[in-house]
Amino acid sequence: MPRWGMVIDLDKCVGCQACTIACKAENNVPYGSPEEQKSRKDVYWNKVIAVTSGKYPKVNTELIPMPCMHCDQAPCVTVCPAKATYRREDGIIVQDFRRCIGCKYCIVACPYGARSFNSKEQEEKEYHRKDLPPDRSVWGPWPFPTRTHGVVEKCTFCFHRIDQGIKEGKRIGKEVVPACVEDCPANARAFGDLEDTGSEVSQLLASRGWIRLREELGTKCKVYYLPR
Amino acid sequence: MNRRTFLKLSALTGTVVGGKRIIGPFETFAGLSPQQKTENAPEEKWISTSCLNCSARCAIRVRVLKGKAVKITGNPLSSVADGKICPRGHLGLQVLYDPGRIRFPLKRTNKEKGRAIDPKWTRLSWEEAIEEVAHRLKSLRDKAQPHKLLLFSGLNSMSSEDLIFRFANAFGTPNLIFGNGLDGETEKSGRWMADGHYRSTAYDLDHTNYVLAFGAQMLESSIPLSRFLRKWGKLRREKSNRTKIVVISPRYSVTAAKADEWIPIRPGTDAALAMAIAHVILSEKLHDSDFISHWTTGFDLYKKLILHQYSPSVVSTVTGIPPETIQRIAREFAQTQPAIALGGKESLNWPEGSYTSYAIFCLNALAGSIDGPGGVIYQEHPKYQEMSPLVEDDIAREGKAQPCLDLRGTTKFPAAQVVTNQIPESLLADTPYAIELAIGFNSNFNMLAPGSERWDQALGKIPYSVHVSPFISEMALYADLLLPSATYLEEWGYDHSPAGGGVAEVRLKQPVVKPLGETRAISDILFHLSKNLKAVAPSFANLGDGPEGFVKFRTSPMMPWKEFLRKGVWTGPNYQYKKYQRIFNTPSKKFEFTSGNLRSLMAKKGKRDEELNLLPQYREANFLGKKDQHPFVLIPYQPLMVIENGSQNYPWAQEIFLPMHGRGWETLIEINREVGERMGFRNGQMIWVESPFEKIKGRVKLSDGIHPEVVAIPSGQGHYAYGKWQQGIGVNPHEIIGVDYDRLSGQAAFFNTRVKIYKA
Repeated sequence: MPRWGMVIDLDKCVGCQACTIACKAENNVPYGSPEEQKSRKDVYWNKVIAVTSGKYPKVNTELIPMPCMHCDQAPCVTVCPAKATYRREDGIIVQDFRRCIGCKYCIVACPYGARSFNSKEQEEKEYHRKDLPPDRSVWGPWPFPTRTHGVVEKCTFCFHRIDQGIKEGKRIGKEVVPACVEDCPANARAFGDLEDTGSEVSQLLASRGWIRLREELGTKCKVYYLPR
Repeated sequence: MNRRTFLKLSALTGTVVGGKRIIGPFETFAGLSPQQKTENAPEEKWISTSCLNCSARCAIRVRVLKGKAVKITGNPLSSVADGKICPRGHLGLQVLYDPGRIRFPLKRTNKEKGRAIDPKWTRLSWEEAIEEVAHRLKSLRDKAQPHKLLLFSGLNSMSSEDLIFRFANAFGTPNLIFGNGLDGETEKSGRWMADGHYRSTAYDLDHTNYVLAFGAQMLESSIPLSRFLRKWGKLRREKSNRTKIVVISPRYSVTAAKADEWIPIRPGTDAALAMAIAHVILSEKLHDSDFISHWTTGFDLYKKLILHQYSPSVVSTVTGIPPETIQRIAREFAQTQPAIALGGKESLNWPEGSYTSYAIFCLNALAGSIDGPGGVIYQEHPKYQEMSPLVEDDIAREGKAQPCLDLRGTTKFPAAQVVTNQIPESLLADTPYAIELAIGFNSNFNMLAPGSERWDQALGKIPYSVHVSPFISEMALYADLLLPSATYLEEWGYDHSPAGGGVAEVRLKQPVVKPLGETRAISDILFHLSKNLKAVAPSFANLGDGPEGFVKFRTSPMMPWKEFLRKGVWTGPNYQYKKYQRIFNTPSKKFEFTSGNLRSLMAKKGKRDEELNLLPQYREANFLGKKDQHPFVLIPYQPLMVIENGSQNYPWAQEIFLPMHGRGWETLIEINREVGERMGFRNGQMIWVESPFEKIKGRVKLSDGIHPEVVAIPSGQGHYAYGKWQQGIGVNPHEIIGVDYDRLSGQAAFFNTRVKIYKA
């Protein structure tokens, strides 16, 4: 059984946020509004954050793309009272919208802020206009035919792509990758099987020192960063 | 939970159950049996076309399901960015399905024009609309005054630009105004002084080992952006030695943050720094003497000027950069071959920006980085099928002989090809003559150009104006007649690569969906109009008889039509380096450190310039406003998420507008933290930014990433015309900028306005 993971090279990353937008387009993640941003209610499955330190002129800002870390020891899975979030055999942490009761324990538990609560009203006009994307009735192979508000959402490593790719006999990590990996213009992201020493991700990890965010928490996340 | 929410929730569960029948819970489509698969298969197509969210016009592929565009990605056949696109490319879906788009022609019923005035649009049919425009065009021709037609062209497909150009020429007006005069002209004119090419510069980013970027925000606003984004990754970790990148800018931009070194510089002094770097290179004899002795002229005078005036210690006092830093980067630049030096908006869109561009470009010659691997390269252009010769009559010829409204080529702007921002002055003063009719194609200059208010006044003054655009932009607010154009995802066209990878490349545009509502592509409108105009019709006759035919005709030398439809990209032959025999377009046929092109141009204009004016040099910038009254320099910078089509009504772009501050939906006014604290500002407080001309209000951001003498405000916000995702959001810094130009190229200056700031 593979164990899917992602490697993000911060030296190659250009801070352009193509990952954020590609993810929104692929997964029908709702866009926010000024009000939602003020109250931090906007939804992202992947977001680029800026961490700044230092004083002028010796200032340093790190722009860090943040998908779900898909921890092997995931705090969100532990705390979920409804078993709505769980680890698949291939290591992907998924969220079952049907089981989710919207209690948000997982949002509190997640050390990476990777989870968002979808408080969009279903009937909100622009979100459900038939002539605007996202119109899910035409989307095709995607696990969530319609969206549910009142549940917690997060990155899925685009498992709909992976599952379909496996069934079609494609090489995952080469021919099939998550949308953020495919659309990264700098090729800063790689995706593949961490168990396979020949995979691109394993080779990248062997080539340079890497870090995982908040290693001390023992979450054993499967998103690795290659520092500059 | 009240009953209403409960009802809503149950309705919602219903949808989910309904959805189950289609795909099943967590079952993917591929899991279905082959039969089910065909039955349920959504009709999926990938269509190759090209983008138009900035002037790079990258090749894209669009996923279309049941006639709806759902995803955009790069076309792997394009070599400019190895098949990648920038984040703006993905926004095409929101451009196409923008709820604010106009669906049918509209006519103004309120004669009064102005920002806050409701035009009171009423609907009319296309026949009536075309009839109306044709009638007005005809009457200009009947009066033998075709030059009184003013055409604006904003961001359009190159095929549309070709047709607009042909239309103007056949009709007989010299007044076709592109938006180029607002960006990139100084870069071109500076380079023209050196090697005779009045074009943007291409760089061989695959092999560069050192990059010196003067105010060039390669990861935000440089063109073609997708190429810079892609190659940045390549330069860092996809070759054996990692390229060092140094960014010189008063502002700690995304590019500076991602670079190895950020060198804050006093605004407007980039030319001095470039000259000082040359000083170190020349005095330490680090230059490529082989290239210089064989392929350059004017070197001795240049060297004398440099050694005489631009020592690092002198320049240090001008730029605020320590002499040791100047020496270090100069040595690194000259000794890490191949190296490139490039300028960008923030160093070049200044008065005297041409000389800055010249000074920076000369560094490439010193390092021997001209037309070699990893250096400056010469973009090749495709050969389209030639159009038949223009059919013009005496009225057209006489019309075109009239002086152009933008004063290009006059002694005021001797080298200029277009002076976009001169138009309001000419319109307001009726010089050289009054304009009777204007047609704008996707232009929004009253948002984009400095001194917005003059534009508003001038546009209000035009007796009759027509605007062609997918949405009611700020410029469209002043139109008498609005024609709804199709977006780039609904039209036929072709584009070629801007200065990028050197190799010629043509991208096909084909409709991925049917035009929404009654919208029509610009090419469609022009072909229609030409049929109603006797003067223009013959010139539009043998062009393929319509938008699709035109593209087919023009691209016929590239490849068979069916193949082109499928591939979407045609690429020219591989790039050849070191073509020194034929690339220099100068009187000496060499790279010129003393510009022969400028000398002969000035001679033609009857002005003999002093020999010294023909050399690259630093000239102290002329600032608008006095330092004691207005102590800060305003930097209206362009973040990546600014879509260049004149609208910003795209929530995907808006919510992540300022990545360095983690904020969207807003304009943040950035000032140096220490300066701000001294003035008693708190982060997030509202402040006024006041220039000698106007003032705007916004939230202040105290930052450690900005030079103490500047105030930085992102452009792109402050729209007031349409759209719930842009209207009333943020402010437009162009409203408070004064009007000034680069003397040679007529490029509008954006960065030389002084401001003061105070609490609101």
